[in-house]
Amino acid sequence: MLKVAIVGCGKIADAHLSQLQRVKGCQVVGVCDLEPLMARQLYERFHVSQYFGDLTELLTVAKPDVVHITTPPDSHFDIATLCLESGCHVYVEKPFTLYEEEARRLIALANDRGLKLTVGHDDQFRHAARRMRTLVQTGYLGGRPAHMESYYCYELDRSSYAGALLGDKGHWVRRLPGKLLQNIISHGIARIAEFLTSESPHVMAYGFTSPFLRSTGERKIADELRVLICEEERTTAYFTFSTQMRPSLHQFRIYGPENGLILDQDHETLIKLRGARFKSYLEHFIPPLSMAQQHLGNLITNLGIFLASDFHMKSGLKYLIESFYRSIVEGTSVPIPYREILLTARIMDTIFAQLDAQQREVVPGHLALQTADENGRPSSLHSTP
Amino acid sequence: MDTNAVIARCFADERRAIDESDRDTFLIGPDDLILITGATGFIGSRVVKNLLDHGFRNLRCFARPSSDVAKIDALTGGACGGMRVELVKGNLLSRDDCSVATKDAAVVLHLAAARGEKSFPDAFMNSVVTTRNLLEACLEHQCLRRFVTVSSFTVYSNRQKPRGRLLDESCPVEAHPELRGDPYCFAKTRQDELVAEYGKKFGIPYVIVRPAYVYGPGNEALPGRVGIRTFGIFLHLGGSNTIPLTYVDNCAEAIALAGLKKGVDGEVFNVVDDDLPSSRRFLRLYKQNVRRFASLYVPRFVSYALCYLWERYSAWSEGQLPPVFSRRQWHAYWKKTHYSNAKLKTRLGWAPNVPRAQAFRRYFEACRERRHA
Ligand SMILES: NC(=O)c1ccc[n+]([C@@H]2O[C@H](COP(=O)([O-])OP(=O)(O)OC[C@H]3O[C@@H](n4cnc5c(N)ncnc54)[C@H](OP(=O)(O)O)[C@@H]3O)[C@@H](O)[C@H]2O)c1
Repeated sequence: MLKVAIVGCGKIADAHLSQLQRVKGCQVVGVCDLEPLMARQLYERFHVSQYFGDLTELLTVAKPDVVHITTPPDSHFDIATLCLESGCHVYVEKPFTLYEEEARRLIALANDRGLKLTVGHDDQFRHAARRMRTLVQTGYLGGRPAHMESYYCYELDRSSYAGALLGDKGHWVRRLPGKLLQNIISHGIARIAEFLTSESPHVMAYGFTSPFLRSTGERKIADELRVLICEEERTTAYFTFSTQMRPSLHQFRIYGPENGLILDQDHETLIKLRGARFKSYLEHFIPPLSMAQQHLGNLITNLGIFLASDFHMKSGLKYLIESFYRSIVEGTSVPIPYREILLTARIMDTIFAQLDAQQREVVPGHLALQTADENGRPSSLHSTP
Repeated sequence: MDTNAVIARCFADERRAIDESDRDTFLIGPDDLILITGATGFIGSRVVKNLLDHGFRNLRCFARPSSDVAKIDALTGGACGGMRVELVKGNLLSRDDCSVATKDAAVVLHLAAARGEKSFPDAFMNSVVTTRNLLEACLEHQCLRRFVTVSSFTVYSNRQKPRGRLLDESCPVEAHPELRGDPYCFAKTRQDELVAEYGKKFGIPYVIVRPAYVYGPGNEALPGRVGIRTFGIFLHLGGSNTIPLTYVDNCAEAIALAGLKKGVDGEVFNVVDDDLPSSRRFLRLYKQNVRRFASLYVPRFVSYALCYLWERYSAWSEGQLPPVFSRRQWHAYWKKTHYSNAKLKTRLGWAPNVPRAQAFRRYFEACRERRHA
């Protein structure tokens, strides 16, 4: 029986505990938060045996085997370091750390101590996402991906999160180097990183503050981001984060030399895009029919999973936790390769560095187009004084 | 704390001075400082107006930097006179902000809360942690005469009532609010407990006010006690049940009096208007005055059975459907119940200044305006 503890008792900790109750072979031995009232409410609602206001006390008294870190991102590195040093395996919520360098150090420490780490990119383990991975691994694309498109949007104006963030000038999101973006985009970036092979792809980012956010008086937070990622002039990817576009997509499209796939996280659907064309007018009739058939197939699959009662909003989280625990108990490989964690962190570092440079260069309200120079580094094509 | 945003305003609006008769029954004088949290909210802004109308001249309104302060500005606009309404911007999650806000406050009317929040931690944080911070700050300054916490009818379990169908202040609150599946109920119950605990442990003089559903311009939604639209069509669940309503100005008067009247420390007051309509009548009036739409009446035994089934399925499926409908929820919202405001009237001298007909007229008018906006 693995002994599990949770550090950080906010919203995402609720999701972890809800799913942990469904995971066999583990027992939650403690929850901890600097704000003891928050720790207590979680302990009460989920009938955990103990709650703590101090991490060291949690580690020494409850002696967990695994710690889930669900605190604000700027504390991930320090808490994960302490947990690893205390001999615990660690599940770190996304974003893994603030910088790639911190991620690298955590992975080195874990390897040193023979411990395991994972990151909360649970969306990649939802039902349709797993079906997509299987298809890619079995060669459906017909070779290495030629292009990917990842949309990870967020309806800021509708969320209570917006109220909390905009209403609090000291909100922790404001302390992150990438601010709002850093807290959200890693899911969408990791989807791309999973299928990249080079260690340092070129990254070109452009971000700005949406009119909605500007209308609230906000100037410091970028909530629109477009990124072009390119590796070895072979595989390219677009990443889009938007708080304003509708529908607010969570989609991933991947195209190979033969076929493509569209994963829609909101609809929990996976659609195959056949590369070969039909003759003449048949191209207008057969593909729409095949699309209808595929959508119906997805509907039936979803209904089946629902009836089997495995269609929870956070079903990916349960799968990821189970896979991670299995890797600990059975000594198998971790569900998210460390290479992918590092590459995601590296791409994000580059994005935020470029946005930072943009913000310093550009007069607010004026347009700046970013392009890459011959070395793939971003250079300003046009920035008005 | 956004110190630049601390705005002191004076104005010479000739509001009525405190009546001689009231003066003896009030805990504080017209120049003692009253802090109102959630002052820019639906009810908070009416509380500010009510206090000004009562002749209180030294108010501090607390609001988050992102709050829309237009309502407060509208109340306090005008030239300089003997009144001071200060707008302090901050967040009750910050202990420092709470300390600044409570400095010199003789009465705290605490309305700020996460209403409509769907996550337990967020609801809890913005109701319980904020309340704790405020109470701690009050202890630090040692000048508090009364702390009024605004709770809600939602905290009542509406079961095992001592007097049959009558719900009053003596009725039990939800013993296990975590099982209701309602973050607001959980947060409000714990908030009440916390205030009572601080009263007991540290002698903080407190009063708990529990309003029923507060309606009026600014809250144009149909009460969930009447029915819900979760499944596409409007399910009318209230039927012949009495709907516990209080018009926003009447509610504001009750909250103000709870902060002002002497001799009510440690008391709980339910706030509900006179002459309450049945759910069926309320829905009919709404359809006549605002808009027509199809609704499906669900008899009480059917809604109870559905709530039970939902609760069982939620448990069986390990939360695939969240436990938002349950028997506890049914008891709290859709069970036939009668309500009393006797204590409010006798102990606080409250009366619903806005009668039902007028309140409904204003409410329906606001609903129509909102629809056409
Ligand atoms: N409306 C009802 O039917 C009803 C019924 C029973 C009881 N109540 C209670 O009455 C009180 C007022 O309700 P309402 O209807 O006026 O709600 P409201 O309009 O939502 O107002 C709540 C206020 O609290 C503020 N607030 C929330 N979190 C805060 C924080 N961390 N720091 C500072 N301020 C914060 C909000 O600020 P922002 O403007 O920045 O969001 C808002 O102004 C609440 O305690 C509620 O539970 C309401």
